[in-house]
Formats: sequence, structure tokens, C-alpha cells
Amino acid sequence: MKEVKVEVIGPEPPCMRCQAAKKAVEKAAEKLKQAGIMVNIEKVNIMSKNVVQKYGVLISPAIAINDTVKVMGRVPNPEEVEKLLREAAK
Amino acid sequence: MDEKTKRAIRTGIILAFIFIVVGLLVYSRVMAYSFAPQLKQADLHGLPLWQIPIAYLIDYFSHGWICLLFAFTVAGLIYEFVPKEAITKYMGSSKALGYGLALVMAPFLTVCSCTMVPLFGGVLYAGAGIGPAITFLLMAPAANILTILLTGEMISWEVAGVRIIASATVALAAGIIISKTPWGKAVEKEHQIANAASASAKIEIVKPPLDERLLAALKFAGYLAKQILPFFLLGLIAVSYVSAFLPEDIVGAYLTGVAGILIASVLGGPLYTPTLVEVVLGKAMWDLGMSKGALLSWLMGQPYDVANALAVSRIAKWKVVLTYMFIAWIGSVIFGLLYGFLTGSL
Repeated sequence: MKEVKVEVIGPEPPCMRCQAAKKAVEKAAEKLKQAGIMVNIEKVNIMSKNVVQKYGVLISPAIAINDTVKVMGRVPNPEEVEKLLREAAK
Repeated sequence: MDEKTKRAIRTGIILAFIFIVVGLLVYSRVMAYSFAPQLKQADLHGLPLWQIPIAYLIDYFSHGWICLLFAFTVAGLIYEFVPKEAITKYMGSSKALGYGLALVMAPFLTVCSCTMVPLFGGVLYAGAGIGPAITFLLMAPAANILTILLTGEMISWEVAGVRIIASATVALAAGIIISKTPWGKAVEKEHQIANAASASAKIEIVKPPLDERLLAALKFAGYLAKQILPFFLLGLIAVSYVSAFLPEDIVGAYLTGVAGILIASVLGGPLYTPTLVEVVLGKAMWDLGMSKGALLSWLMGQPYDVANALAVSRIAKWKVVLTYMFIAWIGSVIFGLLYGFLTGSL
């Protein structure tokens, strides 16, 4: 079984758009489970120093897949996330 | 139909919609059509109490809907298409560049208030330091795209322009001054992370196809409208009573001259709601006789609104927050006086 790590990066408490982004990731993860891809979703605080040290200045919501920021400042739809996750799992 | 044609058609439809929105605004300009409510105090005064907001709202929306539609659409488009990763990459790099980007880009990045405080933290942590972070924080609400468009269309483009210049000057001054204070330096030292700049290697933004981006832009415009309009409506109801009952001689007595600027600048902060109401309320009071100087001070009151300050105080110390609030307030008074004096409307 393949594993993909996803970080949904946004402020704490989460804003509406970050929650929407997380939902999109969750939906995509659900689908990929059937295809044998495990997606580990983590909600990370954009204001934490670890995140800034790792990625620099970000605009929320951001989505990092396997430690690379792929989406920033917008809410992607689940299909798009699914495609990105499939690529990452290859 | 194959995927490509479908996308092309979708792109075409959305672009057509955008052209219609822009076209409506241009057409209304050419026809010299005003977006502001037309009812005068005397018209409203004679109505029963419950009818006042209704009459005012009908009056407002029959004129203002083009302006609102345009403002939200443009805000959505700009937010989607502004090259975010290029900005964030350089915002952390050097001081001068940090200040410049904070000033130029803040209005475009923060139509949505939930991105502002995180960005403030990011700029502070990642290298550019407290100065540019403060400049960004003050510039963002003072000159966000929605507010500027509405100020320009409803009040006047002269006021909107002066407001941008004044806000930029004050934001820059506040950033530079705070970066020189001992307490500002302490916050910077506490939060700065060494060599965060190398992090940009880990960012590879994917761009979806054009039709999806356009659709996302319109969706974001809709999201903004959903967030702002309910409060905007409530605000308009309040404004309708102000327009109906606030006597002109009180406005004339208290919201003109040097005292008027002081009063307007003090009221502007606490009464500020990030919902565009301040623009409509400003317009209503201006119609009742508020001076241009006081109007500018009033509109510049936003940077020291309380909700924002609370959020920032969690990262920066209260001393920093109080310093920037004070500088912003002084700035709004100085520019109010200057503008009032120069235009002869003090």
C-alpha cells in the first residue's frame, strides 16, 4: 500500500476557506483508499515556526503534498486534489 | 464533445460574463449614472419608521448593484490571478523589497481577512522582520480592492486616491518607526527564524486550466459576497436612520473643522467593520455636510480596529500594537488636516 502525506496549512482556529480545502482533501483521500493509496492528512498551523521555517511565507489555505507546497491561497476541488495525490503516489 | 472544446466553451461563457459586468460599469460611467442613493433627508424623514430602511435599501440597490457586482467580480479575479508564490517568495528576502511588496501587494492579497494575520506572522518570522510586517498589516485593510472600488464609485475617485496615498505613507512610517523602537526589535528578535529563505525550494505551485481558474475566481467572488453582504445590509439599515434623522446642523457643527477631523478619526476605529459599511456611512455623513478632511480621517480609521489588534497582539506584544494604533491615528489626523486644508474643505 502506498502512502502520501498531506499537510493542510491554515490559521488556528481554522478559517472557512481552510476548512473547505481540508474537506476537498478528505474527499479525495476517501476515493484513493479504494485504489490502494493511503493518505495521511494533517492540519498544520500556518503561524507555527516549524511551518514558516519549512516553507517560508505562505498564503492560507495551502496544501503541501509530501513536503512540497502544491496549492496556495485557494480552495481546490476534490478532483484536482485527487489527481495531485495520484501523481505523488506514483 | 471532447474535453478541450468543453473547456474552451466554459472559458468563453465565463469571459462573456466578466465582459458584461465590466461593460455595465463602463456604460453607467458613460451615461454619468450615479451609484449612490439619491433620496434626500427630507424624503426619508416623512416616512413611517419601518419604511425608512426599505425605501433606503431599494434606493441603494437600484443604483448600487452594478458597483457591488463589479467590485466583487474584480476582487475575485485579482485574487485568483495575482502571482502569489512570486510575492511570498520575495516578501521574506530583504528589508527594502519587503516594504515595497508589503505596500504594493497588500491590497490585492487580503480581500479575505483570514489571510491577513497569518501573512503578518509569516513576514515577521521569515526574515523581512517587524517593519514590513507592520506595513503590510496596516496597508492591507486600508486599501483593499473592494473598499477602494466602492469608495471610488460611491464617494469619489479623488477621495479614493488620496486614501491610498495617505494609507501607504502612514503604513510605511509605522513600519519604519516600530522597527526602530526597542520593543519592536525585541519582538523581531524573539520571532525571527534563521535561514528560512532557503525554504522556497519546497514550493511548486500547480496551476489548473484557465476555465477552472476563472470559475474559482467567480466562486471566490461569491464567497466574499456571502461573507460581507449580510453585514452590509444591516449596516445599510443603520445608515438609513442616520440619513433620515441625523440633523445637518449637528454634522455641520461637529464634523467640520479641526475638531471634526479629531472626532471623525476617533470614531472611525471603533466603528469600523470590515464590511464596506464605513464607505456608505461616510457618504451619508458627507452628504449631510461633513468636511472632506473629516471624511478622509473617518475612512482612514480602519487600521486600528479592535478585532485586528487582538489577533496581532497574540504574536506581537501589546506595546507594538499600541504604537502602531497611535501612529495610524496620528496619521489619519495629519492627512485629514492636510487634505481638508488643500481642498479648502476643512
